[in-house]
Amino acid sequence: MNKWLLSLLLNSILISSSQALDLGKALEDAVKEKVQSNQSANNTEHNETNKLQDNSSPSIHWKNPSKDEEIAIGRQVTGSLLGAAPLVKDDALQTYVNKVGRWVASQSERADLPWKFGVIESADLNAFAAPGGYVLITKGLYQKLENESQLAGVLGHEIAHVVKKHQLKVMQKQALLSYGAGLLSDQLGEGELTKKAIGTGAEISARNLDKNAEFEADRMGMILAARAGYDVYGLPEILQTMGQINHNDDRVTLLFKTHPLPDERLTKMSESAGSQLDKLTPGKTLENRLYKLN
Amino acid sequence: MKKLWLNRIAGICFIAAGMLSVPSISAETGTALKMDTLRVQPYADAKAAGTLSKNESLEILTKKGAWLQVKTKQSTGWVRLLSVKRTSNNSDSFKGAIDVASGRAGTGKVVSTTGIRGLSAEELKVAQFNESEIKKMESYTTTQEDAKQFANAGGLKASKIAYLKGAK
Repeated sequence: MNKWLLSLLLNSILISSSQALDLGKALEDAVKEKVQSNQSANNTEHNETNKLQDNSSPSIHWKNPSKDEEIAIGRQVTGSLLGAAPLVKDDALQTYVNKVGRWVASQSERADLPWKFGVIESADLNAFAAPGGYVLITKGLYQKLENESQLAGVLGHEIAHVVKKHQLKVMQKQALLSYGAGLLSDQLGEGELTKKAIGTGAEISARNLDKNAEFEADRMGMILAARAGYDVYGLPEILQTMGQINHNDDRVTLLFKTHPLPDERLTKMSESAGSQLDKLTPGKTLENRLYKLN
Repeated sequence: MKKLWLNRIAGICFIAAGMLSVPSISAETGTALKMDTLRVQPYADAKAAGTLSKNESLEILTKKGAWLQVKTKQSTGWVRLLSVKRTSNNSDSFKGAIDVASGRAGTGKVVSTTGIRGLSAEELKVAQFNESEIKKMESYTTTQEDAKQFANAGGLKASKIAYLKGAK
């Protein structure tokens, strides 16, 4: 995986851990840019353009990535995140989180993915999902958990992002738009193309920030936990906890930058739930089984 | 609800400590996330006891399943817990006492004093792929079957529940 892809992927995380994509619109944009490019360049640089296309297309079929490609992308993203914050050195903790996460993921439409979970050394309160079933939760957030159902809710939210391919779609869009940017500019070296592609991708994605992907992951995360037999209110409860943290606290800077604020998320959950959760069989909270960190 | 049971535990601890009077533990407060009806009992079809307007302040009296008994200026009644946002009104010192009493001391403080770095956007930008860490993460992968056994051990039963639709 080359540096271009790595930077692009990391950039995707920075912009938002989830944005929905209108792939059709992205393609349309890319085509539009290509047409403009062809018009302005008078079609005199076909060979150069083809070369640029090759440079900007790593061995991922961005238009329709296979499951293996999706996993490879997720591995790259997650490996980089782990470069910033390594796993907490506690085998029992990591194994525990994998069991809870795998059980919740088994209730999803993508139970077949090789789901992997990890707790990372960071005081931040956050969790991350990457394509292919990679999910990380920070130690800071883990320490706020009061029971296993809250962990299930948090992981359920991230699992939902993977199931709905929220991150993957953002990356696909960026790849397509970067490709378009590559066509627009002639005589660009690979390094410059990389900068160009990433710069353009970031701008586009920032404009397309979609809170609805977060709300969708909240709705699905709650239900995934409930399907797994947990109390459905684990996720809203941890959001209540986060809502009480001072917004100026450094530990929530990234979270609140990339997600709607807890109040808004809770309100959306409440509105979506209405009376629909009234008849659910009460699930388990399992406070005694929550693995305690030293 | 953490604080509710913490309050209870704290109360028990104080009594157990032989204190003659229970200190005035202020009740947990909250605000209404949306307009809703207060019910005389914790059921959707129970008689109405009043109404909640959005952002109205309230006092949380107790919790029962998915319902909270709350007190507003006008009335007291039950409302779905998803309709209420909890607001923190405990002073730090009081919270500290509860943390000690419930054995949770330090869970928040250790983090902020040990200097474990946070995940800033800048740090992510310069992060380098770490092959050995990702391999380590992959080594913890659990099979579906193991996860199922783990669920059984905790008495968790899977069931089919439809996803919620987005609010209009």
